[in-house]
Amino acid sequence: MNNIIETEGLSKQYGNVYRVKDVDLSVPEGAIYGFLGPNGAGKSTTLKMILGLTKPTAGAITVFGKRVNSKNRLENLKHVGSLIESPSYYGHLTGAENLRIFQTLRGVPKQNIVDVLKIVRLENQQHKKVSQYSLGMKQRLGLASALLGYPKLLILDEPTNGLDPAGISEMRELIQSLPQKFGMTVVVSSHLLSEVDQLATRVGIIREGELVYQDSLTKLHQYSKQHLAVRTLNNEVTKAFLSQNGVTWEAEDDYLIIPQMRDTRMAEISKALGQNNIGLVRIEERKKSLEDIFLELTGTAVSL
Amino acid sequence: MSAAIWMEVLKAKGRKIWLVVAIMMAVQLLWAGWAISNKDANDLAQGWLFFLYQFPMLNCIIMPVIAAVVASRLSDVEHKGQTFKLLETIIPTKRIFAAKFIWGSIYMLGAALGQLAIMIGMGVVLHFGGPVPWGALVGYLLFTLMVSLTIYVFQQGISMLVANQMVPMTLGLIGGFIGLFSMFFPQGFQKLVLWSYYGVLMQVGMNWDPITRATDFYWKAIDWPGLGLILVFFGLIYGVGQILFVRREV
Repeated sequence: MNNIIETEGLSKQYGNVYRVKDVDLSVPEGAIYGFLGPNGAGKSTTLKMILGLTKPTAGAITVFGKRVNSKNRLENLKHVGSLIESPSYYGHLTGAENLRIFQTLRGVPKQNIVDVLKIVRLENQQHKKVSQYSLGMKQRLGLASALLGYPKLLILDEPTNGLDPAGISEMRELIQSLPQKFGMTVVVSSHLLSEVDQLATRVGIIREGELVYQDSLTKLHQYSKQHLAVRTLNNEVTKAFLSQNGVTWEAEDDYLIIPQMRDTRMAEISKALGQNNIGLVRIEERKKSLEDIFLELTGTAVSL
Repeated sequence: MSAAIWMEVLKAKGRKIWLVVAIMMAVQLLWAGWAISNKDANDLAQGWLFFLYQFPMLNCIIMPVIAAVVASRLSDVEHKGQTFKLLETIIPTKRIFAAKFIWGSIYMLGAALGQLAIMIGMGVVLHFGGPVPWGALVGYLLFTLMVSLTIYVFQQGISMLVANQMVPMTLGLIGGFIGLFSMFFPQGFQKLVLWSYYGVLMQVGMNWDPITRATDFYWKAIDWPGLGLILVFFGLIYGVGQILFVRREV
């Protein structure tokens, strides 16, 4: 699968402080990429660098297979819609007039205004001044602006910020439908694990400016599957024994973490351990939650 | 570019920016009416010269206020709605700056034309002496516009860079007062202050006799070096303002 976005060693430094450090992002075509991290981790800065709103200190950005530079930036962005941090709007104008401005500047057909208003379900509010919109309506207008040119890539930075649960659910449904309906690739940043969990197909986790995890959400979920924790009187000998018997292990404190297995297989192993005079002290079933994994990766309390 | 300018027109809808220009023109009209009301027939014979001397002085305050308000009104919609970060992903940043400058210039042109209309209207109605000095009036329009656009681009640069519009508004007012008071200082000093160029490019001078307390106006040669300097100021301020706007990070 082709990558729509690729970054290599992307960094942003202010003085001696790295806001983003050596980030190698890869966003596959057609994915909903969840860019997850605590507040202030560097999500918005990374997305702004991809959009050319902030200049990287080091590294390279490739979008649609083309290396982005100041000369081809806008040409590349013709196929990109974005909503960064908060929606952009002119409060004294109506929703339709706002979209008219961005539609004209983008040079896309007028009909797109009608279409995107339908997509974000704002067609009945289009003649109301945006200053009178609720936050949720403003977010939907922001999404409508981003969708105006039916972009191949949509970059949404915290699109559910400040929304109530119903608004969050509505926005999530809307975003989820985009890849199927319009073949878009979507990058959604969030500090909410639950949001990314329900939305994304691939996830990147950023901590203090560094990408600490990037893979499919399925793989992240695998980490949260049940495991067995084994404790013996001699873990060093047990490690060798397990390896000889084709059982993978991972040391954690005084325990060896091994994959879940059938009872008969576990019985065989415990019997063999006894025959080899390795005192088996404890076998426990353990399950890591996604939050535990997030916490391990980011070292920060997760927002749920 | 035309789309960007047209969109500036749409953004200005309901912002009542023309009202500011109209109010300032009304102030200028009232002042002109008051200033000319106590003139006798002899004074009116020099009516054109009187206006071409007094209007640039008044412009030191009027035009910087218009420039500051217009630039601020055109820029604060972008700051309030955080639209620069979206606009800059659609059109070149230089074009955003240029479109705003062109649309703002229309207001400045409107104000300058308004002043010209006041002068011509009053001159014709009150039968100022001699024919209408079209050449001097066109010169007045051009010089007023040149100085006003330079001040406007200065105001626009600050208004677009700084979200708090109190900063450019205060600078505009301070500049206007410095410009007005600099007219009492030597020309060398005047040429260092942007806001005093309405005085530098004046086409009329005044003699005042302290004994008879009579004033006499006379035509002055155009200060070409002064005109050259204001053009240089314009180029520099536009260039620096645009560079700073393009380089800043949203």
